[in-house]
Amino acid sequence: MPPPTCLRCLPIRPAPSPRSVLLCHIALPPAQTASFSATTNLSAAVAKKRPNSHTGPPKRGVKALNIKKTQRIKSGRPPAPGERKALRKRIVLSNTNALEVQGMPDLSDKNVTDASLVCRVVGIPGLVVDSLRAVEAFKPTQGWGLFRRPAALVRKETLQLGRYIREVETAEDKKTIRRVVVGERGTKDLTIGHTEYGPLFNTNPTQYVQKTYTANLLSQISKANKAVLSKLQLFQQHDLPIPIQSNISLDRLADLGARDPDVAYPIFQALWAELTAPSTKGAVRPPILFTLDGINQIMRNSAYLSTDVKSIHAHDLALVRHFINALSGAQALPNGGIVLAATCESGKPPSSALELAVAQSEARMAGAEEVPQPHPYKAMDQRVLDSMRDVEVLRLKGLDKDEARGIMEYYAASGMLRERVDEGLVAEKWTLAGGGVVGELERGSVRMRI
Amino acid sequence: MPPRLNLLLTPRVIAYRSKPAVGVWRAQHASKPQPTIRAVRGFADKSTDLPVSEDDKGPNTDPGAPHVSEEASAMAKATGGSGPDLEQGTPVQEVVKDDKEAFDKLPQVMKDSIRAKTANPKPQTRPYSTSAIRRADLVSQEPAESYLQEGTEVSPPPGLRFELPDLPLPSTSNMEHRYDPVVAQVTNLLMRDGKLSVAQRNMALILQHLRTASPPQVSPTRPLLPGAPPPSHLPLNPALYLTLAIDSVAPLLRIRSQRGAAGGGVALQIPVPLGLRQRRRQAMQWILDAASKKQSRGSGRGGFAQKVAEELVSVVEGRSGVWDRRGAVHKLGVSARANLNFGRKR
Repeated sequence: MPPPTCLRCLPIRPAPSPRSVLLCHIALPPAQTASFSATTNLSAAVAKKRPNSHTGPPKRGVKALNIKKTQRIKSGRPPAPGERKALRKRIVLSNTNALEVQGMPDLSDKNVTDASLVCRVVGIPGLVVDSLRAVEAFKPTQGWGLFRRPAALVRKETLQLGRYIREVETAEDKKTIRRVVVGERGTKDLTIGHTEYGPLFNTNPTQYVQKTYTANLLSQISKANKAVLSKLQLFQQHDLPIPIQSNISLDRLADLGARDPDVAYPIFQALWAELTAPSTKGAVRPPILFTLDGINQIMRNSAYLSTDVKSIHAHDLALVRHFINALSGAQALPNGGIVLAATCESGKPPSSALELAVAQSEARMAGAEEVPQPHPYKAMDQRVLDSMRDVEVLRLKGLDKDEARGIMEYYAASGMLRERVDEGLVAEKWTLAGGGVVGELERGSVRMRI
Repeated sequence: MPPRLNLLLTPRVIAYRSKPAVGVWRAQHASKPQPTIRAVRGFADKSTDLPVSEDDKGPNTDPGAPHVSEEASAMAKATGGSGPDLEQGTPVQEVVKDDKEAFDKLPQVMKDSIRAKTANPKPQTRPYSTSAIRRADLVSQEPAESYLQEGTEVSPPPGLRFELPDLPLPSTSNMEHRYDPVVAQVTNLLMRDGKLSVAQRNMALILQHLRTASPPQVSPTRPLLPGAPPPSHLPLNPALYLTLAIDSVAPLLRIRSQRGAAGGGVALQIPVPLGLRQRRRQAMQWILDAASKKQSRGSGRGGFAQKVAEELVSVVEGRSGVWDRRGAVHKLGVSARANLNFGRKR
């Protein structure tokens, strides 16, 4: 169809402006001044075909394969040595986003035997938290960092331990309670061959000392018991490699040993001798709580080798010998105390002697006539059996439904469990936790992945 | 033009039926039964002359048998149920219930009293409600504790085999939609080599990091999804935190390149809208790319989860590079908006 406006009316030529008339008389040819042209596309340069996956194989010598690892953007300084390990092993005990549970009582020496606290969660006081942190009682895999402050569920067994503490404190003849806590599925470092060790001469059988471990232990003892040890002073004479003040306080003595691994074991022996000396009028000594977690590791051969390239039995390690003497009753605690050992259930090394010892102890406690005997044709570790001969066992089973309800109510009150805690939910989580295993209960209710 | 058919000249058509062949079987004749005359009629008469059986025994023929009421009472006593009370006579209503003749012969006073007892309600008032059923009436009024009391057995209403459900039904009651959709989708996007349990573990770590991190400070230059809760609410609801981060930074479209459509061998950019799942997937892919390129400061198993969680926090705070990627896609889409209908047939 012909255009509505005729070609004559189209402004092919620009209208002569007065300025152009004055300044220049050169009229540009019409083609270069045209605002519309039908020949632009034809006279334009041909668009180059950009190489894409369909253009064919690359030229000879051109590298086409480009498999590179993800380039991580490196910004800032690299982490300092030890920073990564510290980040991995850090313990976080508080979450400011979690809600504070109103009306939660604190565990104290006054309510440690209070039966009304059963199935309730109690807070752990600040000083006790510092002591527990010093002895590495909190593990990074546990869920302390999800709540406002560390708290623990009170069970019947908790009250039992409270009663032991009361008995030891109030007993007139200094009582020592020796127990092994056996439970569902947490000393590894002592026996797996990760610390330096050396023989103690003039001992038969040869005992071995782990001086770095001992130094670390002394530092933990000093930090955890600062309030008590700073008030106690040295009263006996000790033959130590380094000169020490005659009336030095016990926590400073421990610090001396912590600083220098070479003198750690003699100082440990001195400290132990001081604490286990009978208390006199001038030198009052408190009862001792001696605990060890994971005795499965020490009721067998250790990973260390003697000079004859034979496995060293764990009971030949000096520190372990100390504990075993206290547990078996060979070493009496003149000022009273509690010696508590705990087994570990997950990742435990096999120790048939320990299992037998626990079974024998439980049979004796139940008053059974037939006590399990060692297998006649299998070699059993007699030293282990001897060490556990008259030690009682406290068996921890999974939580029951009331205790599970108590701890789930605490989770909900902290804002970590956003569901209505009723009988149905408690039963569901309890069942999925394999009958109330605490770790699985926490994982199922608090560590959500859905 | 004259009609083709001439009625005068067409011969008369005689309708007749051809005789069927001898071999053809006809169903009608074969199945039709021949009427027979029977000596006994097949229906009952009103006459009272009932046929007497040869054995002379029947329900009413035994003279020594007790009356129905006595028999019913004895049976009830034997089985332990409640039977008719023989001390009192049968009420008149029961006797004349089905018998209209007997009802008509009753005295008028008795008829009126029976009618009054079975009187129909007035048409204006109906025993049932005709207004719409309110939701509150459907929900069972009994408290939940009554179900837990010992010995109480709540039986379903009559006519129902199972109990009525507690309305409203929870949104997670369908088996296929029982998990949070965003969390489920993100878990699958984290999965590598089919290792879903590893992805679930990482998801749990990400949510844990979001819970323990401090509340984010939202930047005004990067506004989040409208209707979002205040930032202080987010750490305690990590699934919502994750949903908000992803939905805020998700692009609304993707750019499709049509080869050679722009002319001169150049591809034409065509914007294509994305659905909800597609948007979330694209956002999460960008976040995972950004997280994988980060340098880690720690070590151990939770490293990647830590990086992804930090990236999610930076998205909500507006610091992330994912916002720029989204902006670039949107900008390209806006400039290519003229090509939206490219290829669509009219």
